[in-house]
Amino acid sequence: MLNVICGDSMIRIKGLKKDYGKVHALKGIDLTLKGRITAIIGRNGAGKTTLMRILSTQLMPTEGTAEIDGHDVIKDTGWLRKTIVSIPQEASPISVLTPYEQIKLYLIAKGMDARSASERTKRALKVMSMSDAANMPADELSGGMKRKVFVAMALAYNSAITFMDEPTTGLDPISRLEVWSAIKKLNGSVIITTHYMEEAQDLADDVVMVESGKVLEHGSVKDLLSKFNGKIRIESTSRRGAYNVGGLGISYVGVGKADAYLKKGYTARQITLEDLFIVNGVYLES
Amino acid sequence: MNPKFIAAMSWYYGFSTLKRSYSYVIVSLMMPLTILFIVYIISHGAIIEYAVLGGFIIMIASNSLSSAGDAAFMRLQLRIQDLFVDTSITPMDYMLALTISYAAFALPGLAIFAVMGIVLKMFTILNVLLLIAILIMLLVSSSAISFIISSRVKHVRNVWGISAIISTLLTMIPPTFYPYTYLPKIALYILALSPATPAAVLAQGYFGLAPKMLSMLGVLMAEVVIYMVIARYFVRWRES
Ligand SMILES: Nc1ncnc2c1ncn2[C@@H]1O[C@H](COP(=O)(O)OP(=O)(O)OP(=O)(O)O)[C@@H](O)[C@H]1O
Ligand SMILES: [Mg+2]
Repeated sequence: MLNVICGDSMIRIKGLKKDYGKVHALKGIDLTLKGRITAIIGRNGAGKTTLMRILSTQLMPTEGTAEIDGHDVIKDTGWLRKTIVSIPQEASPISVLTPYEQIKLYLIAKGMDARSASERTKRALKVMSMSDAANMPADELSGGMKRKVFVAMALAYNSAITFMDEPTTGLDPISRLEVWSAIKKLNGSVIITTHYMEEAQDLADDVVMVESGKVLEHGSVKDLLSKFNGKIRIESTSRRGAYNVGGLGISYVGVGKADAYLKKGYTARQITLEDLFIVNGVYLES
Repeated sequence: MNPKFIAAMSWYYGFSTLKRSYSYVIVSLMMPLTILFIVYIISHGAIIEYAVLGGFIIMIASNSLSSAGDAAFMRLQLRIQDLFVDTSITPMDYMLALTISYAAFALPGLAIFAVMGIVLKMFTILNVLLLIAILIMLLVSSSAISFIISSRVKHVRNVWGISAIISTLLTMIPPTFYPYTYLPKIALYILALSPATPAAVLAQGYFGLAPKMLSMLGVLMAEVVIYMVIARYFVRWRES
């Protein structure tokens, strides 16, 4: 599925703030993104969706600016809207339309002619193993299949910049792999949000961790986890650790000391992005 | 302007709904047919022609107005509007596509009233053409009102209630199924805020059921323009 521009886009965000009435959803985000696949992680309500919607010109920020490849998301929407594909977190297909119709309609809205829209739609549905469901009204699809319709949509257009807000939430393991493979097939830059750490770790070159409307960490997975180099996570439900999360005592110790802890009944775990949340105090019990 | 999108959206959304969702069609037929029945019984058939003409007007106006619920639902719940913000279509394309879709929902009802009109020998070529022109203006102006309403709705939970109230107010109280001459002048002028009123007054005049009141043509045309301008201004394309 060849298309438009190959390569990475540059997103610059400066002092971005968003208030919903009294709720400060974003409290000043400064960020430059240039990875091919960027994953935004953060707890429920951290501000991921708000950030994604501002970047894809669906929502006005309260303060600050952002530009994508030099195009201001506030003033310069023409090029952006023609170019980017942005799949909302809660997007759900119109119930009387079939996946085929839904995707084709989107491609036509993007400016394609009906014939190539139709061909691309069929191909994308096939890649997502949805050919059988292609002509079923959407209200007969399962929840996961509805999500996949929108991934197929992104794949069918194959934009230079694709935003996907939680594309794999609620998918079975095989479907999730299909979505990963679809994301890898996209030619341009992809920004996803996710609650699955292994997804961010396996898929993304660049990870942004957001908490309470601020960026806590940003970098490649390797850089972000480098502070744990030579360490291992040990945890116990019966003992308190350096960090205590949901009844679990967690500590980070040198790999050499692991055996001693295992003998004392601790469990050892590999370091993942989740540990970043823990050491940043995001999950901590007060 | 993206005519291909407008055509595709109204075909898929409007006509697919007709094809795949029968109950929707039947529900939209129930109100005008019930009124027709009651008017027939109460007036012993005397003002049946008014109710047939009114049927056309109610079908178009109530379908367009209750579509406010649909449009708000697509924006707030399905997030379909967010999806379309990032395309080359304009808010106007989107509104037009939905407007034509709602006209499609009204087609079966229009067909039934057309058959009744033929049976009652109401039609001439001229008054049919005039009726079509009136119905198109009614469609555009009442769809515009429905976009104004849908853009003001903040929560999905209020969507259906509000649009049903507005639809009833703006189609049932105007002289759609009774002679407009029954109304005191002042009431007629107030009701003229709803495009169903000038549409009904004009139709009754052209069909020889009541005296012609051509000033209502100006009112209807003005409403087409004014409600469209307001709708374009209010439609929330990018959320603020
Ligand atoms: N339309 C809205 N009106 C009021 N407050 C909102 C609105 N949308 C989001 N918020 C608030 O803004 C904050 C950030 O929400 P956002 O949806 O960006 O979080 P998120 O990181 O995407 O969360 P999740 O992982 O649950 O999707 C939350 O406190 C939320 O309650
Ligand atoms: Mg979210």
